[in-house]
Amino acid sequence: MHFAYPPRKSSNPPPFRPRTSAIPTIRSRRLKTIGLVCLAFLTLVWLFQRGGSRRHAPPAYHKPSGNPPVVIVTVFNEGKYGKGYLDMVKENRLKYAEKHVLRLRPPRRTRLVGQPPRRPTRHDHVPDAAYIWYLDQNAFIMNPNLKIEEHVMKPSRLEELMIKDHPVVPPDSIIKTFSHLKGHDVDFVLTQDKDGLSSSSFVVKNGEWAKFFIETWFDPIYRSYNFQKAEQHALEHIVQWHPTILAKLALVPQRILNSYSKEKGGQDYKEGDLVVRLYACGEAGEDTCETESQRFAQWKTAFQNS
Amino acid sequence: MSLSRSPSPVPGGGWASPGLTNNLSPSGRSSPTKAYAGGSNGTPVMWERQKNMGGPAYQSFSTQNQGFFSRHMRRISSSLPRFRHENTHGAEREKIGVESRWSGLNMPRLGRIRSLPGRMSRRTKMLIVFGLLFLLGYIIFYSTPPGFFVIILAANVGGGVMEWKGAREWAIERDSIRNKKKYVAKWGYDLEIVDMSTKKRYAHEWRESWEKVDFVRSTLRKYPKAEWVWWLDLNTFIMEPSKSLQDHIFDHLEDVTYRDINEYNPLNISHPPADPYLDELSKSPIGDGNPNSIHLMLSQDCSGFNLGSFFMRRGTWTDHLLDVWWDPVAYEQKHMEWEHKEQDALEQLYIAQPWIRKSTAFLPQRMINSFPTGACSEKGTDTRIHYDQKDRDFLVNMAGCEWGRDCWGEMYNFRELSYYLNRSLWERFKEDLLCWIWFKITGKKVKF
Repeated sequence: MHFAYPPRKSSNPPPFRPRTSAIPTIRSRRLKTIGLVCLAFLTLVWLFQRGGSRRHAPPAYHKPSGNPPVVIVTVFNEGKYGKGYLDMVKENRLKYAEKHVLRLRPPRRTRLVGQPPRRPTRHDHVPDAAYIWYLDQNAFIMNPNLKIEEHVMKPSRLEELMIKDHPVVPPDSIIKTFSHLKGHDVDFVLTQDKDGLSSSSFVVKNGEWAKFFIETWFDPIYRSYNFQKAEQHALEHIVQWHPTILAKLALVPQRILNSYSKEKGGQDYKEGDLVVRLYACGEAGEDTCETESQRFAQWKTAFQNS
Repeated sequence: MSLSRSPSPVPGGGWASPGLTNNLSPSGRSSPTKAYAGGSNGTPVMWERQKNMGGPAYQSFSTQNQGFFSRHMRRISSSLPRFRHENTHGAEREKIGVESRWSGLNMPRLGRIRSLPGRMSRRTKMLIVFGLLFLLGYIIFYSTPPGFFVIILAANVGGGVMEWKGAREWAIERDSIRNKKKYVAKWGYDLEIVDMSTKKRYAHEWRESWEKVDFVRSTLRKYPKAEWVWWLDLNTFIMEPSKSLQDHIFDHLEDVTYRDINEYNPLNISHPPADPYLDELSKSPIGDGNPNSIHLMLSQDCSGFNLGSFFMRRGTWTDHLLDVWWDPVAYEQKHMEWEHKEQDALEQLYIAQPWIRKSTAFLPQRMINSFPTGACSEKGTDTRIHYDQKDRDFLVNMAGCEWGRDCWGEMYNFRELSYYLNRSLWERFKEDLLCWIWFKITGKKVKF
């Protein structure tokens, strides 16, 4: 063994030499690279903005923020009904609105004979409302604890409630409600009674579709056509002929939104329902509505207790 | 001495051509190799000999029947897709590499290109990479993908049911279709020729010419990538095929369209709508003013809307419009007074329903729909309406020519005019200069 072992290395490697300065100098070469990368990135952004704006962007319309969540619209016929009765209806709506911090459209319009009476929304006044609930004058909100946006309009709730694949106009219309509709696709919720679609209580989701739908419904062509039941038949007509409207519509069981005071017209009111509507009271005589409303005066106590 | 193609090898295994040995250019090599120097004495180069020389990594000089690619070249290349050159320099640079690889019959060039990335400086590489990135960005974000525009051409109007379809009608159809086909092929659009023959759609009613609505809808369904459809009547002729739709209209949509109908309002429609229940946007004369919200673009002639040439963009708004456009109640009440059917129906919708106005824009008529002097001629020639060849209008629509005017004559004249206006430089040189000189010298008109 004449060869010596190589000298042993220290088991502790020497520490790295400290950096000369805290920030490493950026070499000019690298600087150039960084510059180029930045330039390329900016170019891409520029291209994206220019091209993107031209090609696929859908129109940016106002999206309702949901404040207030719901606007109740009721059209009052001041000439025909007594002031006491109308005040009571007003009070009913206001109390409900107060409880849920809703907005109520100041109801001042008089019903014009021979015309579909209503423009359920006035987009200009509450552009941020999420839903618009049209409720007929001769109806009372009976259960103050139910909120429209949860009781009816919540997508999961809607999917439970929706009546699918059901003739739009009973009993045998070949046009049926879509069976594959999802809750969040629904923009328009209403009920059916024995005569057909009931336009006395319905909810519309505020937005571009609502404008399209309401303006179509209100089209002068339909108003001049002499539908036997004016706006109700116009509604049945557009729902059956125009799939873009049917595709946003959900039928819910009548008692969710629109229980009747008499069984004659449809399903009658049961304790706990949201609404009772005095069925056909306007046609029966001047005071029928008022006397009929006495039967459901318990809404006052319900509102007090809640 | 240079040879355009390499000579064939002799069965004995050598080159028959003595001249070859002195010239290396067909091989594409720039510097002679040591191995080859011995072959310059005029005797055939033998394969064995070259092997013995032990040349550096340069096996053979044979350019034929050598290697996998040269033997199977034709078979492989004929099955490959072909690409056209119409890109910017970045693409070409890339393409040279690709093409040469496939067409590289001679190994040296192939090898040279193989080693190209190694020999390039880092800076060049970076430049190429950025060039490619830029190109990619351009393709992804900026350029219009093929099939973005679909032209719907209404052919076979009436289908010969109401009127006899004679030679002239066939000729019109042929010319019109060829014109659009060429245009579409040039710019990468799609063409959908629809059959407008008279059909009985429903048991109790004729919906003649209402098919427009149905055809736009079915075309949008058939071409899922299409963003815009452009409806054209049969009696139209694209006069300036060298203008793309992007250049002509869509790159400056905001500047060429007008949303406020008061700018030209032959129907005297009161605009903007003023009903108290409307929101600000509906009351605004120009909608939201953003070209993104435009979904229908049409032009107005002397008597109102004209749907001989119009654009529709895919979207919810369009679905709604196409859905409500035809309505049995409207039809029942108005079919006697609505002479122009779907055109009148659209006017009615535009007047009655503010949501329609929010996404409708108008183009000056002569941008997409110039009339010949025969149409709308009650008040004489109007610079807003009638075709002017000095301005090189984009499209002529011989509207109403089937009522008392000569459709084929107009179509023929405009076709010839379009060819004349779009002559190439060479044709201009021949016809404008040479023929003119010839005419001056000999007094005879000639045609080359």
